[in-house]
Amino acid sequence: MIVYVYDGTFEGLLTSIYDSFYRKEIPTRITYMQEEQKDFLTTYINITTDEVKFNKVYNAIKDKISYHSLQNIYYAFLSEQKDCEIAIYNYLRLGFKIGKSIDGYLSNNNVLIINDFSRKVQKERHAMLGLIRFMELDKGLLYAKIQPKYNILSLVSPHFEKRLASENWVIHDENRNKASIYTDGEWYITELKLENEIEISNKEKLFQSLWQNYFHSISIKERKNLKLQQQNMPKRYWVNLIEKNM
Amino acid sequence: MEILTKLQILSDAAKYDVSCSSSGSTRKNSKGGLGNAAVSGICHSWSEDGRCISLFKILFSNECIYNCAYCSSKITNDVRRATFTPEEVVSLTMNFYKRNYIEGLFLSSAVYKSPDYTMELLIKTVQMLRENKFNGYIHLKGIPGADNTLINRAGLYVDRMSVNIELPSEASLQALAPQKKKESIIKPMSLIKNGIIQNKEEKMNYRKTPSFLPAGQTTQLIVGASPEPDLNILKLSEGLYKRFTMKRVYYSAYIPVFESSTLPSIQTKPPLLREHRLYQADWLLRFYGFNADELLNSNNPNFDLELDPKCFWALENIHIFPLEVNKADYTELIRVPGIGIRSAMKIVTARRMSKLDYEDLKKLGVVLKRAKYFITCKGKYYGGISINPISIKQVLLDRPESYSTQLSIFDMFPDSLVRKEASSNITGEF
Repeated sequence: MIVYVYDGTFEGLLTSIYDSFYRKEIPTRITYMQEEQKDFLTTYINITTDEVKFNKVYNAIKDKISYHSLQNIYYAFLSEQKDCEIAIYNYLRLGFKIGKSIDGYLSNNNVLIINDFSRKVQKERHAMLGLIRFMELDKGLLYAKIQPKYNILSLVSPHFEKRLASENWVIHDENRNKASIYTDGEWYITELKLENEIEISNKEKLFQSLWQNYFHSISIKERKNLKLQQQNMPKRYWVNLIEKNM
Repeated sequence: MEILTKLQILSDAAKYDVSCSSSGSTRKNSKGGLGNAAVSGICHSWSEDGRCISLFKILFSNECIYNCAYCSSKITNDVRRATFTPEEVVSLTMNFYKRNYIEGLFLSSAVYKSPDYTMELLIKTVQMLRENKFNGYIHLKGIPGADNTLINRAGLYVDRMSVNIELPSEASLQALAPQKKKESIIKPMSLIKNGIIQNKEEKMNYRKTPSFLPAGQTTQLIVGASPEPDLNILKLSEGLYKRFTMKRVYYSAYIPVFESSTLPSIQTKPPLLREHRLYQADWLLRFYGFNADELLNSNNPNFDLELDPKCFWALENIHIFPLEVNKADYTELIRVPGIGIRSAMKIVTARRMSKLDYEDLKKLGVVLKRAKYFITCKGKYYGGISINPISIKQVLLDRPESYSTQLSIFDMFPDSLVRKEASSNITGEF
């Protein structure tokens, strides 16, 4: 049994792929958790993330398989699902063997699992584009707290970069203690843990109550259908929705 | 009047307007501006009736000079009245947008003073939004009877426009909304259509031509306030799609607010299922290559409330089935009940690599609950019952399969009887 241990970054994962190819060995698992030696026969190999190796694999996927596949594995990686690393590894092995046509092998198990991870992440990304709620803090800074299932911070940031181009904003993923911070026309992701309560601007309460009010009066009571509402807007998102916390 | 009160009155008055789509525009943010359209459109919330909230939907004013029988803003109705100022709408829209509550603005209005006067106010508001560098989505209602030049001017500021057809026939319009004339609705529709075509041509010659309604036009009609059957409504929609290149026709189940001799009684439940069937059929027209005449005819002028339109059509045309999924072409596949656009595309892609069996379809995520009665995989049929419309209909309606075999004798009788018998079997009341 060979277990690769990498640093948990996408760059690190693609470095593992590179190393496996040149070491001519097939890992049984790829993980970023340091674990106790399970048994005598398991060999742990530490992978050192390497920019050059990463770029080589990255470009190889784009040129020899397809851009779509590259996107697919990146999304699957962000799903943070258990064993998504080895699933990506198996998918790429098949991809390098058959090339672009992998996108058509929809009933192959390796492809299926990656498509499934990727679709879940895409779905949440799209939902979050609508469900993120900014609050205005002092000096006009916009702050949004999110608690997504998947690691979608890097996927939603470009959307708000275009949309709120002349604002300063922060999207804070509380589950992962990370935040995307946009200022001076650029966004970057950093560690963030809030020590104290944030203070909202003096106009903020007014717009929140106007929105709650609107949310209530736009609904047609003769058509009330709470089940449908919940189907479209799963409960796990409600905690950060201004309109659901009156 | 407080802004909060105005908002309450004017969003409540706008809630029956159905259109909420924010898709179809590629408006880009400008330097120092706010907003950037997402082509796919984005839903931002869902209200308690389960309908999505994408656009900030309000009336500019509910002080109406008209007296349409079904409308809560009509002049003779005793409701609280309010009118926004353009500045108020601009501030609300931009502040809601900035906080990511909304994808843009949906602005409509009662006829305030006159159609032209109202249209001028609406234009002033959207113009002010754009001057404030707001690049979010704007859907504006065209006011029937407003001057041509105003309709054309409005189109330069907004992404989508719509003129409501309201009722499916001239006779009903005459009976319920006598101040609205068919011409005053059709005229702006033609105008918008021609404006869009002309703008496309100008854009080809000169890239920097300002966009005119990049997301096209839509309309809406009320279902169940007047006597027309579904067949008339669907034929009308078909005509609107063909003649005016409409992006969407919206259907709004009539919710009775007034007791009147010309309207269904106040106790009438809104025909929500009928509305749903019309939407399903509308989809079949737009994406599935069906014609209205295939779905309904003078013998069946209304949709079956038990079965969706596609199932109903498939059972009427059972001789076409079963289709072999590895051979049938895309246009045939999308006519199978339960197989949608996505599933059909997946099937067509996947079968190039290898022949598909039943398990493969499951893996692709094709929903087989209904489809299995209409297809074969590698020549094998998985429906498990004989391919005749009566027994398939029974299993589709979720009646336990044992009845379909047990009750084969009832196949000669109409449905209602079969169901009564079936339920009495369970309860033992013979």
